[in-house]
Amino acid sequence: MTRSSGNQGAARVARSQGVSFSKSPVLAVRLPTWRSRIVLFVLFVAFAALAARAVWLQGVSTAFLQEQGANRYLRTQELPAVRGKITDRNGQVLASSLPVSAIWASPEDLRAAPKDKMRALAALLEMPESELHKKLDSPRNLVYLKRQVEQEVADKIKALDLEGMDIRPEYKRFYPQGEVMAHLVGFINVDGLGQEAIEKVHQENLIGKPGSRRVIKDGRGRVVEDIGGKIEPHNGKDVTLAVDSKVQYIAYTQLKAAVEKFGAKAGGAVVLDVQTGEVLALASYPSFDPNDRRNLTGAQLRNHVMSDWFEPGSTLKPITVGLALDSGRVRPDTLIDTGNGRLIVDKWPISDTKPHGVIDVSHIMETSSNIGTTKIALAMPAQEMWEMFTKVGFGQAPKWGFPSATSGSLRPYNKWGDIGKATMSYGNGIGVSVIQLARSYLMFARDGDLIPLSFVKVDKEPQGQQVIKPKTAEQMRDMLEAVVSGKEGTAKQAQIPGYRAGGKTGTAYKAVNGRYVIPRKYIGTFVGMVPMSKPRFVIAVMIDEPTRNGHFGGQVAAPTFAAVAINALRASNVPPDSSVTEIVIPADSGPEAM
Amino acid sequence: MSNKLNLLLTALLVACALSLVNAQYRARHLFVDLERAHAHERQLDIEWAQLQLDQSTLGKHARIEDIARRELNMVQLTPNRTQYLTEGGQ
Repeated sequence: MTRSSGNQGAARVARSQGVSFSKSPVLAVRLPTWRSRIVLFVLFVAFAALAARAVWLQGVSTAFLQEQGANRYLRTQELPAVRGKITDRNGQVLASSLPVSAIWASPEDLRAAPKDKMRALAALLEMPESELHKKLDSPRNLVYLKRQVEQEVADKIKALDLEGMDIRPEYKRFYPQGEVMAHLVGFINVDGLGQEAIEKVHQENLIGKPGSRRVIKDGRGRVVEDIGGKIEPHNGKDVTLAVDSKVQYIAYTQLKAAVEKFGAKAGGAVVLDVQTGEVLALASYPSFDPNDRRNLTGAQLRNHVMSDWFEPGSTLKPITVGLALDSGRVRPDTLIDTGNGRLIVDKWPISDTKPHGVIDVSHIMETSSNIGTTKIALAMPAQEMWEMFTKVGFGQAPKWGFPSATSGSLRPYNKWGDIGKATMSYGNGIGVSVIQLARSYLMFARDGDLIPLSFVKVDKEPQGQQVIKPKTAEQMRDMLEAVVSGKEGTAKQAQIPGYRAGGKTGTAYKAVNGRYVIPRKYIGTFVGMVPMSKPRFVIAVMIDEPTRNGHFGGQVAAPTFAAVAINALRASNVPPDSSVTEIVIPADSGPEAM
Repeated sequence: MSNKLNLLLTALLVACALSLVNAQYRARHLFVDLERAHAHERQLDIEWAQLQLDQSTLGKHARIEDIARRELNMVQLTPNRTQYLTEGGQ
């Protein structure tokens, strides 16, 4: 009961009836017990449901829920591996990968963009607006607009702040030396796989292995924690090539000049290090720019040093003569009658450019007499010649891993016959590539042993395989020098001021489908070495189908050899070994045998 | 006695919890620094590759030859204009 004045009236009413409010009989209703049980039961069911739900969440669907949670903050971050660099022997970069961007867009979002921004985007992507619209006219969620966009341009595109742009990082391969190195270094495709040459051969080493790690990202996409599970990325290994970019540049520019001067179809040149077997330069023309391969033709791609085989012509004579000397059948001063310049073997005529009469073996080389070489060859068993050719690598699959390298063509000796033996002795009926030919001359430049070639830099001198005696190699070197500086030599244009050079010219008719074509097409070659006092380089030059200013090997290939050699010698600081510093070459050094 | 122990343990627990928070905070900070350093490393790697590439591009022999011939008026060396010095003299 309260004493406050406001409630006094109500209390008085209740008191007047004589029954207190809480004891009112109306309120004393007896409820049936089932109702409270129902409430209890409902409460129980509700709690049971909660418990069941808890069990369900915690026990049964926990994995799913955790995954969903993780999706919201956990990210697997790709850790990209950079493709290794390719450098030359002095560390100059020949191929290197730099980060660029791939520009993707969601067509639906981007179509709503304002007109002027679209125009700016098209300009930045260097494509007409119509093409951009065509690309966006796609039902797909995401289309790529342009790949390998340089970082600077990508930043500008980002600055346009367009809805629906997606800029993703990727790498682009740069080839700073361009066309000069193209056939040696090769290139990769847009997916980063090596397509040609070293890029393909060393794909496994270069490519590297991308890694990944699990991280927690905050709302703004910043990585806040690394939660382990890291797979380390392995960058691709760098490859150091044997090539010397200075020598390569010289070889390429001289070859290009020669191909243009003689109106030739193509050409190839290779420079080998005599001590290590390293390929110091490998040039093929026509070439291409590996940085921009949009208008690439098959002719440009063709590596004329390694992928083409041809009949070497007289450049093969030293091999035949070398074998005869080595087996003791002839000596450099052995006299052989080459007659009046015509000889019939198996009813086939063999001829020299002019009658030489009775000359010794040295002069057979110097004048490049087909008849002399034929007579030397006819005295030898075919099998012995075949073994020699095989030993120096003709007809053998090359081991340097270039996918397009040819093994040449060498028929089994039991099918040769006398005429086969005769023509093969001066390089017809046998096919070799420029690099095979150059390698075979290594045995003359060295002491009769052959070493494997290497496109990557080698640390120690490789073990050679003896093919001919050191004495024979020395005799051959004297003969090869006479070809260049002798009175009747066919390669006077190969002379180099200040250095003694030696080598052999070759001019072959080009066969198409096994027949020599009329009008004649030629291949002029020269294989030589410098300096003769202690050979450092073997250089082979091949000019395919010269059409003007001459076609003999001594005219088209020998000057290129000389130009490459003098520059290579100087670039490598090789001291001169000859006091002759001024060379006057007769205007017409005369024709030569095939 | 047991009350005092409880109090001490509670205080220790709170201190521990706070130091954990602090450690976590510092770990995050260090991690952010580490990430930044890694990013910097990558950036420098890229810069290095870019510079090497620039060196190779600018040091292209074709470019050097062109500049030497055209701008510096240099000519090719020939052996007949060369004096060779031999060590020890002859």
